Amino acid sequence: MSQLIIGQLLNGVIVGSLYGIIALGVTLTFGLTGIVNFALGAFMMLGAYATWYLYDVLGWPYVPAVFGAVIAVGIIGYLCDRALFQFTRGNLVNGLLVSIGMISVFEALVLAAFTTTPRDLTYVLPGALHVGGLILPKIKVAVCGVFLAVIFGTYFALTRTWLGRAAFSYAQNPEAAALMGIRTGRLQTIVVVYSTALAGLGGGLYASMYSIDPTIGSGYVLKAVEAAILAGIGSVIGALGGGIILGVSENIGSVFLPSAFRDAYGLVFLIAILLVRPSGLFGDRS
Amino acid sequence: MLGSKGLLLSGFMALGLLGATNVRAEDVVKIGQIEALTGPTATYGWMSAQGAKLAVEEINAKGGFKVGDKTYKLQLTQADTRGEPREATVQFRKLMEENVRFVFGPFLTNIFNAIEPIAKQNNGKFLLFAGATSAHSALGKPDHDYLFRTWNWDAGPSGFGKLMVDYLKKQDTKKVAMLFQNDAFGKTAVDIYTALFKDAGIELKVELFEPGTKDFSAVLAKLATGKPDFLFPGYSDAVLYDIVRQATESGFANRFFLVRGSIGPALKNKDAIEDYIAYVPKYFEQAEKTEPKVKAFIENYKKTYNREFPYDQAPLCSSSCYDHVHMLVQAMQSAGTVDDVAKIRTALLSMSYDGLWKIKYDKTGEEVFGFDVVHVRKGGSVEVVKYDPTND
Amino acid sequence: MKYAAPTALLIALFAPLAVHSDSILAIAIYGFMAASLAVSFNLIFGFTGQLSLFHAASFGVSAYIVTILVTAFGWNFWLAVVPALAVVLILSLIVGTICFRFKLKEFYFAVVTMAFSEILRLVILNWNGITNGSLGITVVDRPSLWTPSGAVQISSGIAWYYLTLALLVIVYVVCQRILSSWIGRCLAAIRLNDQLGETLGIDVFKYKLLSFAVGSVLAGLVGAFYGFYSGFVEPHYLSISLGLDIIAMVLLGGVGSLIGPVIGAVILTALPHVIDLSAELRIGLYGSILIFVILVMPKGIVGLLGSRKNAA
Repeated sequence: MSQLIIGQLLNGVIVGSLYGIIALGVTLTFGLTGIVNFALGAFMMLGAYATWYLYDVLGWPYVPAVFGAVIAVGIIGYLCDRALFQFTRGNLVNGLLVSIGMISVFEALVLAAFTTTPRDLTYVLPGALHVGGLILPKIKVAVCGVFLAVIFGTYFALTRTWLGRAAFSYAQNPEAAALMGIRTGRLQTIVVVYSTALAGLGGGLYASMYSIDPTIGSGYVLKAVEAAILAGIGSVIGALGGGIILGVSENIGSVFLPSAFRDAYGLVFLIAILLVRPSGLFGDRS
Repeated sequence: MLGSKGLLLSGFMALGLLGATNVRAEDVVKIGQIEALTGPTATYGWMSAQGAKLAVEEINAKGGFKVGDKTYKLQLTQADTRGEPREATVQFRKLMEENVRFVFGPFLTNIFNAIEPIAKQNNGKFLLFAGATSAHSALGKPDHDYLFRTWNWDAGPSGFGKLMVDYLKKQDTKKVAMLFQNDAFGKTAVDIYTALFKDAGIELKVELFEPGTKDFSAVLAKLATGKPDFLFPGYSDAVLYDIVRQATESGFANRFFLVRGSIGPALKNKDAIEDYIAYVPKYFEQAEKTEPKVKAFIENYKKTYNREFPYDQAPLCSSSCYDHVHMLVQAMQSAGTVDDVAKIRTALLSMSYDGLWKIKYDKTGEEVFGFDVVHVRKGGSVEVVKYDPTND
Repeated sequence: MKYAAPTALLIALFAPLAVHSDSILAIAIYGFMAASLAVSFNLIFGFTGQLSLFHAASFGVSAYIVTILVTAFGWNFWLAVVPALAVVLILSLIVGTICFRFKLKEFYFAVVTMAFSEILRLVILNWNGITNGSLGITVVDRPSLWTPSGAVQISSGIAWYYLTLALLVIVYVVCQRILSSWIGRCLAAIRLNDQLGETLGIDVFKYKLLSFAVGSVLAGLVGAFYGFYSGFVEPHYLSISLGLDIIAMVLLGGVGSLIGPVIGAVILTALPHVIDLSAELRIGLYGSILIFVILVMPKGIVGLLGSRKNAA
């Protein structure tokens, strides 16, 4: 029994790190541009399809394929920011709805190109690790490692570099940051593009673990938003923490209680935490 | 102010016009199809829509078909329900208003339940060829003469589910764990198979998952603690690839039993599985080599849609609808009419069609056709056991 | 825009004389019910500034309760509406109290209401004994109306057309009454700045809760009829996508107006049936319309019409 629980705790962390990488995009975009980019799920789906296309159709090796996908999704993110998102800055509802509209557009494009047939990548890193009676698929461990590295890397970049500090100061006080000579428009664009690229990376790695179809993004973006809110908007490490809390509560909940309620276990947590700490678990502003 | 009124008006006018544009010459037989072509439940509908279209184009390309001394062409209207009952009820009403006498679909149980009351009101005016599992219980009821069910039934003496469970029993199976998607069909399937396994004396444990689930680790681990002989996952390839991979990779299960879905997941994980027993209406990879009709069908599919033939993706739906269009045309010819649906129904019930499948209907309007049980073993060896209930 | 609603109503009253199609009537009926949902949602969203994602839950819970009371317990339809609305009222008061007491900021409010809505959906989906789970419940019954010549069953398309039109008028008038009263001005103050409202002596919590509860109960009223018209209820009634559809209707029509959501709802309900497009194109078009409306005409169709009138 304890093996079952430890195994599912670890799996919860792995699944949670995927929620976390999208949640990081949600939290950064929300903190700096005041909008919730629901289309990050769709960007993730684009990243997954781009990776599949480069890897399985064009025959690239997997790692360059993921890089290619991240760059492609980042470029699409940039174009979307210039064409659409920059007009919704600071307007939560408009940003939300524009991004929901984009989900439909992206889904339509992928449907037209690749149909609804699910795709399953040629396995990248098959097999499993056997550690003390636990069996962990290698690919999941590797993907989780990459996600953790990227999230912590982002955290250090935000706290140690000029650009990062500029972003932080902007999130705290936009006017003061502008007075200090921070080009806020550019900063916001960078953040939007970075968050879409993160989603692209999430999708690229997702595709190595699960089969993909044009609707995969919608479920994950909801989880990511829940994770970001649960953690408190603006917290980088919190996004990861929120994702892991959701992942673990779903997995452990499914073991002890009916799995049909899986999605509810995280939601109950979310409501409970928000009632105790309305600004989120890791948020400091009340 | 004028504008808002005008908008509403023009909206209604546009709607009215739409009803009028479909008037055509007499020598056209209208066929409708009502399936989910997009959305998360679209796999079956999308495949069968391609099959029907292929058949219609084939027949029209040959110049149509002759009934009596008149030559008719087929006109196919395909509606996308997106799996939403509300959309389906409007689309279905529209088909009825346009006097479409032959409607294919739906495969989805919730959609069938939604259109059933409207279909009942139109009984006698049209025929419906539904694949949905829930259509089974409506067969033979009063006011349901319109209904055919285009799929083998799971239960019953010649039902494939019963034969499959018998096959499983021969493998010395004591315990089975069922893992199905929590939606209308999933629930129906759980009800059917709970009874079948009980009759066979096999212990069954059931878990359901939300549509859209991708990580099955937790529920697989939980089911594995009961040490079942077989895992019975369902019900479409969209989740089967993930379930089979995760179950084998983490050592939760390596013997699988399926009644919906392809053997694609087994072949992809051929070295990790022990047994993979699947109901496959036709094993196309093999049939392509031995049956010229199948070969021609596959070539025609590739030519028409300009894409790979989806061997692993329910070719069953695609071609089963394909066969049904041809069968319907044959029935119209033998009945000598294209609009007397009662005569055409009688013709369909009494005939047996020899296409990609040998198809006939039982007296309630449920289809009986031959199918294969495909047993994939470790390493990818494939054993095909053929059943042909049409001979009984 | 003063006469827009009465003229639209007049047209709607006589439109069935010109229409002899069951499917067009069905689109209109669904359009009216969607419009009722959109109008009641706009009370919470457009006029009070609270982005609620609980609307689909109110709608669905009520549809389920009415259906279960009628099919399993043999209640009369009209009688069953009462407890259904009472349950929706209680649920909305609980959810509203939790959210507004803790002063959740706008997006947090959206997420928490969505969370409650999802939990309710999962309960209904998995409470097999009562709700028949994912298969839903089929309704054969039809509500009756008492007339001097006895009870008449509402079963024809025309009867449903007028019934749902009446429903829309009721929802519309209730919202209009609220908004043109003192309450409406309090709600407007809260929408613009709820801290300012507080300093002005408005009981922000009370009015937010009032708006949320009234909007939710009206959604419940629509749900009661919806299940009976469509002939079935299923867990999808409580889905997030329905909530998002309602938002799109309100935005397309015009968020700050009463008639706007009606226009938006009718258009978006009819659109997929008017334009015959392939599935991919239709989804893409839907998304493009949404983006276009928000970026180019933020006040929706009503705003567009208003500004054109002013210019002329």
